[in-house]
Amino acid sequence: MQMTGEYRIEAPRDKVWAALNDPEVLKASIPGCEEMQQTGDDSFEAKVRAKVGPVSARFAGAVKLSDINPPESYTISGEGKGGAAGFASGGAKVRLAEVDGGATQLHYEVDAKVGGKLAQLGSRLIDSTAKKMADQFFANFATTVAGQAPEGGTATGGAEPPKPEAAAPAPAAEPTPEQQAEMQEKAMQGAAPGHVAPSDAPAESMDEVKRRATEASTKAVETVRSQKSMSPIVWIVGVIAIVAILWAVFAL
Amino acid sequence: MPDSGIGAAVKRREDFRFITGRGRYVDDINRPGQLYASFVRAPIAHANVRGIDTAEAEKAPGVVAVFTGEDLEADGVGSLPCGWVVTDKHGEPHKAPPHWPLVRGKVRYVGDHVAVVIAETLAQARDAAELVEVDYEDLDPVVDLAQAGEGAQLHDEAPGNLCYDWELGDKAAVDAAFEQAAHVTKLDLVNNRLIPNAMEPRAAIGEYDVGSDSYTIYSTSQNPHLLRLILCAFVLNLPEHKVRVVAPDVGGGFGSKIYAYAEETVCTWASKKLNGKPVKWTAERSESFLSDAHGRDHVTHAELAMDAEGKFLALKVDTKANLGAYLSSFATAVPTYLYATLLAGQYATPAVHCNVRGYFTSTAPVDAYRGAGRPEATYVIERIVEVAARDMKMDPAELRRKNFIQPDQFPYQTPVALVYDIGDYEPTLDKALEMIGYRDFAQRRAESEARGKLRGIGFSAYIEACGIAPSAVVGSLGAGVGLWESAQVRFNPTGSVSVFTGAHSHGQGHETTFAQLVSEKLGVPYEQIDIVHGDTGQIPMGMGTYGSRSLAVGGSAIVKACDKIVEKGKKIAAHLMEASVDDIEFDGGQFKVAGTDKAKGIGEIAFTAYVPHNYPEGVEPGLDETAFYDPLNFTYPAGVHIAEVEVDPDTGETKIVDWVAVDDFGKVLNPMIVEGQVHGGIAQGVGQALLESAVYDDSGQLVTGSYMDYTMPRADDFCEFRVGMTVSECTHNPLGVKGCGEAGAIAAPAALMNAITDALGAEIDMPATREKVWRHAQAKLKAAAE
Repeated sequence: MQMTGEYRIEAPRDKVWAALNDPEVLKASIPGCEEMQQTGDDSFEAKVRAKVGPVSARFAGAVKLSDINPPESYTISGEGKGGAAGFASGGAKVRLAEVDGGATQLHYEVDAKVGGKLAQLGSRLIDSTAKKMADQFFANFATTVAGQAPEGGTATGGAEPPKPEAAAPAPAAEPTPEQQAEMQEKAMQGAAPGHVAPSDAPAESMDEVKRRATEASTKAVETVRSQKSMSPIVWIVGVIAIVAILWAVFAL
Repeated sequence: MPDSGIGAAVKRREDFRFITGRGRYVDDINRPGQLYASFVRAPIAHANVRGIDTAEAEKAPGVVAVFTGEDLEADGVGSLPCGWVVTDKHGEPHKAPPHWPLVRGKVRYVGDHVAVVIAETLAQARDAAELVEVDYEDLDPVVDLAQAGEGAQLHDEAPGNLCYDWELGDKAAVDAAFEQAAHVTKLDLVNNRLIPNAMEPRAAIGEYDVGSDSYTIYSTSQNPHLLRLILCAFVLNLPEHKVRVVAPDVGGGFGSKIYAYAEETVCTWASKKLNGKPVKWTAERSESFLSDAHGRDHVTHAELAMDAEGKFLALKVDTKANLGAYLSSFATAVPTYLYATLLAGQYATPAVHCNVRGYFTSTAPVDAYRGAGRPEATYVIERIVEVAARDMKMDPAELRRKNFIQPDQFPYQTPVALVYDIGDYEPTLDKALEMIGYRDFAQRRAESEARGKLRGIGFSAYIEACGIAPSAVVGSLGAGVGLWESAQVRFNPTGSVSVFTGAHSHGQGHETTFAQLVSEKLGVPYEQIDIVHGDTGQIPMGMGTYGSRSLAVGGSAIVKACDKIVEKGKKIAAHLMEASVDDIEFDGGQFKVAGTDKAKGIGEIAFTAYVPHNYPEGVEPGLDETAFYDPLNFTYPAGVHIAEVEVDPDTGETKIVDWVAVDDFGKVLNPMIVEGQVHGGIAQGVGQALLESAVYDDSGQLVTGSYMDYTMPRADDFCEFRVGMTVSECTHNPLGVKGCGEAGAIAAPAALMNAITDALGAEIDMPATREKVWRHAQAKLKAAAE
């Protein structure tokens, strides 16, 4: 399976990088994620309950990171096991680029292979479902990073409509400068690890916001450097999708 | 026409139970205290197995045992053998790497058997199988047949993954003929890999009886004695007399149930290991896709040399055959002796040479599948002949006619080893041409074009060698078994007859045709004859059913046994009627004293044989005779199929608008069953040509592993097949029959692909999917517009 995509996230690159490394943000963003753990200097494990059609199933995935170049790019590779369902293994290259308006363009290229019953039964559906799951993840993620809590898993606020395989997705509606400023503020609030600021959070003084944001991003970057690790989101999402398809296929 | 004897279109008596759900298949059999097996299968195409952790599975609810290859090895369980030694062109036997029922250290295809979990219920066995942790070290798979020689090494015993490099025919003569040729037609072909898809999946129960130290194996086998022989002599080292194999109703085989597989082996072994608990396994459909032996899978380059008038001078063929990861029971013979020997076809081509390289790849084992080598041969010949006709701007029917072996040339020695005993090809072609209305084809094509459709017509003048086979011949070619057949005809005291045949019916209708045969031979009412098969505990040693052999070989054995019955009956009748044995004639169930009106019915003779109060001296009581028949030659059914198609350039749909099959099967016992076999065969051939294809991706995953991706033909893919017959009776068996079970599958792919390529004006490989057809149809229209 090969999958590429780009997403525009309305937050500065450092913040995106930090958020990508925040297990809580990831947990909030991965549809159906129940657990997100760091298991080593450069490894993560996730447990996800994925639902496709009438079927829901729990699956576990683990990944390792390499070529880490904060806050610009990294390569992730690993393997996910779905029990008798088979396995998926592969890697993804992820790049973050600074773009106009203080936003970040996230680009990913996944190259994964699936095996066992996943391949035998689900090969036809893997690409489309994986893309759908990836879209859902980035919508949630962008919302979170941009400062708004995800609402029922649907994309809101600063999330661009996802455009997989589009070389340069055009913004659906360019925010006004005022809106952008507001979004950035919220993004700063939201970037604090473990703290997703709800959109109706009580207003705080500008200084306090700046102080917390700086603290949070510094901490996040430090965490990244000390752990040399980053989230396996893209890859995991792909694997989740595949496993979910398989389970759907089985149940049918 | 008789009501029930030879030639009668009797409805199949077995259909009552099949259609009403009263068939009894292996999965319908449940033994007291039985356990269920679930196999842990490799999800990776090629990997070293560094370790198998069974601890969690063993602790799971209901689990009785988990076994791996080490357990089998410790018990001395052998490798699943390949029963046919092919000697390569350097005089060396084929490479025969071991095929362990459970892997030892390495997996070689997705679906390979890594471990077995045995539990009290099927659900428990399957759940626990998920808990077996296997530590794999990935290795590069070998997927692409064309590149199989250059990739990773699958077996230490087979450098370059080459099983054999084999040839047949006079290469020097062929080369010389090509130098003389006025025209050479060249063609590259792929014979796509198929998955057999019998309606009933494979299943097995192994049951060891501690008290009698004996085994009963219930198996979906086409040849229960052969399975017993292989398991006892080669794999499990069991005394043959202590093993009974029962193959009850079997729902289709098409070759895939000939072989000895890992599953029945493991169930049988495990039952003893578990102190006599029966162990049952039934394949899920997914497992069938992965691990039933697949069929076909050749890549071929062929060249046909002709003189200026289109006379064939020589044919040379170079084939790479995919044998899969391991050698299945007869895998080596299929692309060699069952393929290259047929490359003369119906033609008097003076020189033929064929080179075959058989390769191991990280895919499921490949073995015989309906037609077994002969569809591949027919596809090569009939495609290249059709292309040659296009090259030479000749009528394809006339080019064939020009090159047919003539009636006065029989028996005809082909340049590829076989001797055709009889055939009459021109009348068959003429009949087919007339039935299809060949003269008016141009008009039909014009009408189609007027409607925006592309019409094509395609021929396939096939020949096959079946009724396999003279034991001495196949023995000299490397077969490990003899290929005779047995029959026992037993009168019961009240005059009914039980016939025990070594052939096995799994859809062929033996219970009907064999009863018709015995009714005709002994004059016993059809209803009073029962056919018993598929149980080594009941029938004499037999070789089973494959290669369209049941009637030609098994039926001939029945004839011989009936002859013995009559011979003995004559002695009893002579005694009863106080006549000389030489004066007794037997006809229509009556023993008559020649020239008198004295007669005794065979029923009375049978009763006398079992109640021998008034009985000839020196004659044994009883009327129960066994015979074995070893054929003198193969039989050579041949025929002409013509397919007519209409392609819709907008949708790529190929509509089969007409199909004519004129076959020469020799004498026909039951025309309705023969027609049904022809229909089924064509359906399978159409499946291959239009829809079916087993595809492994680059990493060796089977991506056509379910009916979502592996497309089977359906009723609406066909037209009404029109079947005609010509008859030249086989010269060397007592029935004059040839066999009809595979002909359709052999003939159909070439006929259909010739028709489609005719319509498109372009070469395409099977399967001719809508996408492929659409692209070429569009290209043709575009070219025509320019």
